[in-house]
Amino acid sequence: MIVVRQKPVEEICSMVARHRNVLLVGCNTCAAVALAGGEKEVDTLIELLKLTMRRKGETTEFSGCVLQRQCEPEFIEHLDDRVYDAILSLGCGAGVALLSESADKPVYPALDTLFIGASQGFASWRAECSACGKCVLGQTAGICPVTRCAKGILNGPCGGVNNGQCELGDRPCAWVEIYDRLETLERPEDFKEIIQPKDNSVKTTYNKLDLSGEGGAR
Amino acid sequence: MNTPRVQEEVGSSTGKLFAPCRAACPVHINVPGYITAIGEGRFTDALETVLERNPLPSVCGRVCLRPCEEGCRRCQLDQPVAIASLKRAAADHGAYPAVLRPRRRPESVAIVGGGPAGLSAAHDLAELGLGVTIFESKPKLGGMLRYGIPNYRLPDEALDRDIDHILEYGIEVETGVKVGTDIAMDELRERFDAVLVTAGLQASRPLPIPGSDLPGVLTALPFLADSACGEDVELAESVIVIGGGNVAMDVARTARRQGAKRVDLICLESAQEMPASDEEIAEAELEGVRIHCSWGPREVLGEDKVMGLRVTRCTSVFDVDKRFSPTFNEDNVQEFYGGTVIFAIGQGADVADLGLPLTQRGAIDVDPLSLTAGSDRCYAAGDVVSGPTKVIDAIAAGKRAAALIYRDLTGVSDIIDELDEEHAVLSKVPDAMGQKLETRRRVEMERVEFYDAVKNFDEVELGYTEYEAAREAQRCLSCTTGARLTREKCAACLTCMRVCPHGAPSGEVGGYLYFDADLCHACGACASQCPAHAIQLEGCNDAELQRRVDRCLFNPELDTTLAFVCGYTPDLLDVIGEKARIISVPCLLRVSEAAVLDALQSGAHRVVFSGCNENMCRFPNAMPLVAARVARIKSLHTEIGMEDAFDVSGEEPAEVAAQGEGVAEGGAAS
Repeated sequence: MIVVRQKPVEEICSMVARHRNVLLVGCNTCAAVALAGGEKEVDTLIELLKLTMRRKGETTEFSGCVLQRQCEPEFIEHLDDRVYDAILSLGCGAGVALLSESADKPVYPALDTLFIGASQGFASWRAECSACGKCVLGQTAGICPVTRCAKGILNGPCGGVNNGQCELGDRPCAWVEIYDRLETLERPEDFKEIIQPKDNSVKTTYNKLDLSGEGGAR
Repeated sequence: MNTPRVQEEVGSSTGKLFAPCRAACPVHINVPGYITAIGEGRFTDALETVLERNPLPSVCGRVCLRPCEEGCRRCQLDQPVAIASLKRAAADHGAYPAVLRPRRRPESVAIVGGGPAGLSAAHDLAELGLGVTIFESKPKLGGMLRYGIPNYRLPDEALDRDIDHILEYGIEVETGVKVGTDIAMDELRERFDAVLVTAGLQASRPLPIPGSDLPGVLTALPFLADSACGEDVELAESVIVIGGGNVAMDVARTARRQGAKRVDLICLESAQEMPASDEEIAEAELEGVRIHCSWGPREVLGEDKVMGLRVTRCTSVFDVDKRFSPTFNEDNVQEFYGGTVIFAIGQGADVADLGLPLTQRGAIDVDPLSLTAGSDRCYAAGDVVSGPTKVIDAIAAGKRAAALIYRDLTGVSDIIDELDEEHAVLSKVPDAMGQKLETRRRVEMERVEFYDAVKNFDEVELGYTEYEAAREAQRCLSCTTGARLTREKCAACLTCMRVCPHGAPSGEVGGYLYFDADLCHACGACASQCPAHAIQLEGCNDAELQRRVDRCLFNPELDTTLAFVCGYTPDLLDVIGEKARIISVPCLLRVSEAAVLDALQSGAHRVVFSGCNENMCRFPNAMPLVAARVARIKSLHTEIGMEDAFDVSGEEPAEVAAQGEGVAEGGAAS
């Protein structure tokens, strides 16, 4: 899932301040699961913005609704935004982008999109994938060096590893973890295999995916 | 384990699920509903909830034999919640709602007998708009509640509170009129569309043994009725009471209050077999009544007045088929000395004058399905049909008769259909859940000391204070008042599974999330964290809380503080500030970030979270979640420069100081 986080209130306020009637649109898929863009957060943010604007002497009004997924045109079709002069999206970047495309008014992001991640239990996620377009997880025992290594190097560890920790000090070294897991899987020799440099042009090629029509031939 | 018992979805009308207390109550009062309200100090809401199903809350709060408490799931942990006493607290501290009289329908019903069955039927029929007239042979309404149950258990004021409320529905009453003697049944049949006989059991006779016609031999009901009317009944210093039921206990205890120095109670049954409730027996003994079990009366001694009673040893009361068939050892004889003998050996119906079909036992013979007796428009219900039962059974019978009469007269079967609707019942508390719940002793009700109690007919049990009632209510496991999932809104984030202390939500059935009601303790952790607002709590939803906040913040002052108080730790007002307006909630998790921000816009100058210190919290996972919520609210307020608008007060509450104020909604508003 896409992991997101709400922007600072001040930043949101500065975006919507010039409008008089703003619609907050939540997203009931990734953003809700990330506890940042479901109905609960839409309600909370509405109250927060109302209170802030009132204190600033502004008269901006706020309402809210939630779409099942903001990154689907069919769900967006049902959005009735006629009376509003701006939209504040509580979706990931993809949601903001698609909403902007179909709306005839400014759409602002209330969230920052952080990473593709997996749940670590209640209210906690870890980045697991950088959508690099060329997956190496088969060689790295399911731990993504592009994402979890601070340098994103394909063959590690680097000299900055210290007692299994990354020199940044905020995470374990991904390459030590990869080695440990390969050992658990009884394939430590795989560690010796050099992963060839990745063709990063793939990343730019994949700016679009269309499987309809002849594109479906893959 | 069986398949999970799934809580109905919000808005779904199928599949009623009752807590065992509610299921065990013959009128299915929403027990968890009103206990929850009391736990939050909302006594009027609690009373309204009771009144939905039982028009006699003040009565049942005092004298009900409490089948509900036997069902209470708390029995598995320690003691049942004091459900009946809490009902009394609702009636004592809540305000009876103003009655909105419905539009009057053309049909009219005569009710013969103003006891619990008759009053309940009258209430329900009048509430539905039918014209109701109660005919009562005694000078006042209430039946056995007034003339049978002594004042020290049920004072007239408590009974009148219920009756006055019932009569507000516009019921007509003719007291001092004995149907069959003063007015004929035929006349009632002519004047009314239906007649309901709820005459109860008015006859009380001595045993046909030698000497039972001597002066000084009394029977229970006239004795209790005279005492209830405040008359001094002439008793000897030593009184012998015969009987082992609750009526016998009432007679014995009343005899003590009428001045008897010594009261011996003789009963056929052994101590284990006595039909009286354990509590009544214990209280009678504490009041000095000497109970002698397994003796059968043989002769009332004396020539021109009672001198005593000769008894023989009863060796068994029931035969192998559990039928009443006492056997005696005639060689084992004993004599008790006393100048008065009172027989309290059961009551009989006294309805021969009504001309209705009777059973061999003298009860009215009714068709069990329609409750009609003989003719179409004549019904009978309550003890006069069933023989002696509990007050709450009589109420249930009255309500059932009312529903049937309503159906027969109007053709509308909604009411009886609702009464007959099937319901599932929660199972026992699963072991894993029970281990996570703390034990907590029942709050004892204050009562008059026994040596003082026998000096007069004043009520012995003094009732809970508001604070005590709230504390006792907080022992409730809140069965069936917990999570309801709106599946369409669910984002399947699994947050509920991660925060539930008991594993009630599960994702195993059919790919959707389900809540196992047996495991739900209504702590509200899931609902408080659900990002999609897909979970609501049956007992306390967001809209309800919003209404309470709006009500509480009516006409705010410039410096009004709104305090959300964890109902389980009512706090001191001087910690929060005297001008605080208070809303009690079962747990601070019920108050969302949005609710706090909204309160600040609705007129509160400051919002305070109060209570919830670790050693008193009854919800296993709540503390860290509340701490996280507080941190989030604080950080939001800091972000918008309103640090001062939100505060937390978690001091240990001084219980005494909180009494009577700490749990009152908007207590210090004025």
